[in-house]
Amino acid sequence: MSTKNKRPLKTKLLFIVALLGVCFILIQFARPQIDSPPVKADFEAPAEVKNIITRACYDCHSNQTNLRWYDKVQPIYWQVAEHVKDGRKGLNFSNWKNMAPADQKAKLWEAVNQIAEGAMPIKSYTMVHTEAKVPASDLAILKAYLAVMVHSKPADTSKTNALDKQYQKWQKAKTAHTKLPVEPNGIAYIPDYKNWQVISTTERFDNGTMRVIFGNDIAIKAVKEHHINPWPNGTIFAKVAWDQLQDTAGNVKTGAFKQVEYMIKDDHKYASTKGWGFARFKTPKMVPYAAGNALFANECVNCHRPMSNNDFVFTMPVKH
Amino acid sequence: MAGMVAILYACGDSANNNNAGTINARASLPDSLKFTALGYKVVTLSINKKLGTMSTLYGNKQALDNAIAGADDVKAGEAFALITWKQQDDDRWFGAKIPGNLQSVEMIKTAADASGKVAIAYTHLEGKNLSPIADTLHNAERIKYIFDQKPSVMP
Ligand code: HEC
Ligand code: HEC
Repeated sequence: MSTKNKRPLKTKLLFIVALLGVCFILIQFARPQIDSPPVKADFEAPAEVKNIITRACYDCHSNQTNLRWYDKVQPIYWQVAEHVKDGRKGLNFSNWKNMAPADQKAKLWEAVNQIAEGAMPIKSYTMVHTEAKVPASDLAILKAYLAVMVHSKPADTSKTNALDKQYQKWQKAKTAHTKLPVEPNGIAYIPDYKNWQVISTTERFDNGTMRVIFGNDIAIKAVKEHHINPWPNGTIFAKVAWDQLQDTAGNVKTGAFKQVEYMIKDDHKYASTKGWGFARFKTPKMVPYAAGNALFANECVNCHRPMSNNDFVFTMPVKH
Repeated sequence: MAGMVAILYACGDSANNNNAGTINARASLPDSLKFTALGYKVVTLSINKKLGTMSTLYGNKQALDNAIAGADDVKAGEAFALITWKQQDDDRWFGAKIPGNLQSVEMIKTAADASGKVAIAYTHLEGKNLSPIADTLHNAERIKYIFDQKPSVMP
């Protein structure tokens, strides 16, 4: 071996290392701002609950982001800043009390479910910030806190009246829509859902509703052939929700119709929302949920995210 | 140190195993029932919190139309199927219950005899294998229960 060739190689390497070093130093100055706006409507809960949430979630989901020195080194800092920005957008515990009580409740169930399914706190973050992990004992505390919020009691007359009013209208007019309502992403209400077959049913005791998940022919065929992860293009789910109407003996029937939601599979057309087109229409008037907010589907995706290894679908199909 | 942290941060995020891609086998109807082929539609659903069961009532078009119209008399050509499951917790959503073991299938069919009188046939199948139940003691009560169900509002 001749030493002549080695020296230029070594010089080149040194040069590259030096260049990387300079880059490393330079990118330290390119810093997106993480601000700390005043906390005006902070999350309130018993101390043991609040402590878990503060420790595990507040770095990304509050105005009280507490960065350690190693979070502030680039290129890590970019990702941290991104997490904080996106995290605060979907859920900010510092603005908690600005939400309506019903929305607070729903968000809390969503938060605990994200933990239960291992989707939150983000795993790459807990690998570094091990103190933010939520062990099973803490999860049990959170679940117990939610469980006492569940009210299972006979329906009052307002619920029965709401149903009666809806029912009479529906029975007579069969609520025909001359012009189909449309969500901002272009998905229109599909009246035919009620003629589809059933994928499954659920009782939601977190929010006092009951649901049927319908599937179109493509969905039913996929279940029959067990090709459901991923679901084939053309699959459509329609999930219908009603109030629960409970009598004193614990028998529950469907009350007022609340909404119908769709998920339409097309991995090209809906690539930006995980291959699914989302839409929600509320009340028998079928009011589009997201009028004016083209990005509403992010909210759907974010709550369905713990099912990312199951094509973002919660429902485990029942063969009929 | 920073390098290590960067590598950790770059790791992908994945959710827990949640039995991805599985069918709810214990709740599924046996193929032999050929239920989908009947083409029945959902009439309504109900829950019995004391027994921890949930049921879906299906009907053919005629049965559903009559039920929505609130017709008092039973007409020929109606068919209902009431399917009942034991509930189980939904492993994928704390806050939900889903069908567990298949418990029973009850079927009603109405037909006119030669004199034009409408007769109601009731069958009761039970358990995972849907074994026929011969005991007819509760038939009248169950038939009344099924005909009394009010359809769910589905605009
Ligand atoms: C390292 C930052 C980080 C931590 C820590 C973290 N999250 Fe998140 N969270 C995010 C980001 C980013 C999103 C947006 C979706 C995504 O990119 O995964 C998000 C989304 C969510 C959502 C969905 C919000 C929506 O849009 O509806 C919930 C709920 C949630 N997180 C709950 C929690 C809970 C509860 C904790 C604490 C146990 C937690 N997160 C800890 C970063 C974080
Ligand atoms: C707070 C969490 C949450 C949000 C937000 C959410 N979903 Fe879901 N979704 C669920 C759960 C849980 C299920 C499982 C069925 C059930 O128990 O209701 C589900 C099921 C569904 C299904 C049936 C297919 C499946 O995945 O099981 C459809 C369709 C659906 N959601 C549509 C939507 C649409 C459209 C939006 C946004 C407008 C949305 N969802 C937002 C939690 C959520």
